[in-house]
Amino acid sequence: MNTVELNKICKNYDEFVAVDHLSLVIQPGEVYGLLGPNGAGKTSTLRMMIGITVPDSGVVSMFGETFRRAHMQRLGYLPEERGLYKKMKVLEQLVFLGQLKGMSAHDATERSLEWCERLGLKEWTDKKVEELSKGMQQKAQFIGAVVHDPQFVVMDEPFSGLDPASAVVLKDAFLELKKAGKTLLFSTHRMDTAERLCDSICLINHGRAVLEGDLGKIRAGYGKRNVQMKYEGDARFLQDAKLVQSFNDYGNYVEVRLAAGADPQDLLKAATSCARLSKFELMEPSLEEIFIEAVGKANA
Amino acid sequence: MLSTSLSNIWLIIKREYLERVRQRSFIVLTVLLPAIVGGAFFIPAKLSSMKSSKTQHLVVVTSDLKFGEIVREQLLSSAQADDDKAGADQRKEDKDDKDLDDDNKSSNNYTIDVDSTAGDAAALQNRVSSGDIDGYLWLSDDAVKARKVKYEGRESSGFMEKSWLSGQLDRAILLRELGQRGVSGDQADVLLKPVKLEIIQLKGGHETKANDKGMFFAILIMVMLLYMAVIFYGVSVMRAVLEEKNSRVMEVLLSSATSTELMAGKLIGVGAVGLTQIGIWITMASVYALPALAASASAGEIHIAPLTLVAFALFFLLGYLLYSSVYAAVGAVITSEQEGQQLQFIILLPLILAVFMMGPVMRAPDSPIAMWSSMVPFFSPILMYVRIAIQPPPAWQIALSLLLLVATIAAILVLCARIYRIGILMYGKRPTLPEIVKWLKYANR
Repeated sequence: MNTVELNKICKNYDEFVAVDHLSLVIQPGEVYGLLGPNGAGKTSTLRMMIGITVPDSGVVSMFGETFRRAHMQRLGYLPEERGLYKKMKVLEQLVFLGQLKGMSAHDATERSLEWCERLGLKEWTDKKVEELSKGMQQKAQFIGAVVHDPQFVVMDEPFSGLDPASAVVLKDAFLELKKAGKTLLFSTHRMDTAERLCDSICLINHGRAVLEGDLGKIRAGYGKRNVQMKYEGDARFLQDAKLVQSFNDYGNYVEVRLAAGADPQDLLKAATSCARLSKFELMEPSLEEIFIEAVGKANA
Repeated sequence: MLSTSLSNIWLIIKREYLERVRQRSFIVLTVLLPAIVGGAFFIPAKLSSMKSSKTQHLVVVTSDLKFGEIVREQLLSSAQADDDKAGADQRKEDKDDKDLDDDNKSSNNYTIDVDSTAGDAAALQNRVSSGDIDGYLWLSDDAVKARKVKYEGRESSGFMEKSWLSGQLDRAILLRELGQRGVSGDQADVLLKPVKLEIIQLKGGHETKANDKGMFFAILIMVMLLYMAVIFYGVSVMRAVLEEKNSRVMEVLLSSATSTELMAGKLIGVGAVGLTQIGIWITMASVYALPALAASASAGEIHIAPLTLVAFALFFLLGYLLYSSVYAAVGAVITSEQEGQQLQFIILLPLILAVFMMGPVMRAPDSPIAMWSSMVPFFSPILMYVRIAIQPPPAWQIALSLLLLVATIAAILVLCARIYRIGILMYGKRPTLPEIVKWLKYANR
């Protein structure tokens, strides 16, 4: 039973096509990344997935059934911009959100306090939200999304605007949820974040899925076509257009992109013939590269 | 499903209510407004009562001492009667004895001299300006004959005082004329006794004392309260919706509750805050005014039918909800408060219209115009209520107008919930009317 299945959902705002026949599958227990540049349709997709808006066409299924109201209680949502009542005290607010998800006041209080303790907000539970720093507000927002122990947590750009320390705390909380068997979905335009955290991804651009599926498989599909190498001596081999499509000198090492159809072994031979190598490693392409290439193909 | 819905609405109402009632501004306004209003009524009243408690010294100038005596008595007894009216009823009864017991020439507020030898006006004018006397009445024979007399005083007398004075003079002159024609004082009193008109209204064969005062009172309070509530609290409903839209909180809430639940919760929550405040004010006012009200109620001056009271509560609440829901809808459409202010007048227009139509409806509560206009949801809170207060229309008419009112509120709520849900996706620009219509069409998908 898939946690979420989107089947060819579409959403238009007037003339503007926000989401265009998008399909994806999220398996239980995985961390799923919804990736794409700003304005690609990530937020629109998330909103349709959790019932804030309704797709113009297509079907949203959750927990193996067509989406319905009752599913809302089993999911948590962290919106892109902070969505908390500024004048309300942190704990009251969290309890309110928990109760809206069907918790009793007592349970909601207990769970909120637990989470506040875990994320270092304990001293702030009695403060108004507006008195909190941005990072702390984001933590409170996160607790609001998970206080009712949802099976599925949806987060829209959870790391945006966070300082590195807070980002680490949040990431750890993520992984803890994952260990507890929850399904996590987050959107981001930062490929490096997704690369480190996600099991599966969906890359979208202009409302369409460019790539979708298991991150490892996607990468494997793109093959190992990058070489990282360290050398001393003549760099003539880098100019061989039959072997090298492009390269990037980072000072400490050089990253080489192999020409189409080139065998890495040939590059190794060419390099050893004129320089001394201290490193030669075949790399999987970065998500960013994959994205750029996929988008390039889609636009071509 | 329904229980989730109700519990969500309840949670939202509770949050909205508690959050607002706890705000300092709520507490300050609740206490401050009665203080200001009370001050505005109380201080001038206190001031004027202080002024009138000072004894006024008047001189009545006439060649006819007997007439002068009549004028003096008339003025004194009338001033005394006015005093009594304001005071306890007890005093009314022994008024006549008291008048006799009164030492010669003064009542509570007036000392009056009758003077036939005052000589010229100039001397009196001097006495006025030196503060010896407060004023004098110049009642020369010619002046009396021409019914054109002169009062000169230090303080220019107010409207009330003037009409009171001329009324008393009229009566004094009449008494003198009657006396000259051989009518005794007692007979003259009988002749001059004013008519008290009592109107009996026949309702379904029963005699009921028609009660203009009570009816007027009940209608006036309703209209004022509704106006005040709509103007004060309608805006806060609008602001609440707008705030939520701008703060993005509703995105979180919409992942737990439907937009209709949100809207209903907000409307009722913020509405209840307004009712609480009004309730507190009414309680404060009635503690202050209750003795007077109870006195006039027991004296039969004010009588309000139980049906009118029920109608009052019902139509006030529904009217308030209706107009608040329109404010909520406006809040869902606009992007800033300034835009809302421009629309305020349009929202209030039907209410103002209803007030204008009160006259015709009160004159002919059974006319077709009255009937139809009291069915229109935006008018019925005032017009149907007015009809009920004057002469209850058939039950089916009341029921129908209530039904229409409730249905309209529900419809506005649903529309407004749709606008709200779509509106969250549109930031920074106010939608045009065609756009809103389009939203309403596809919002339910």
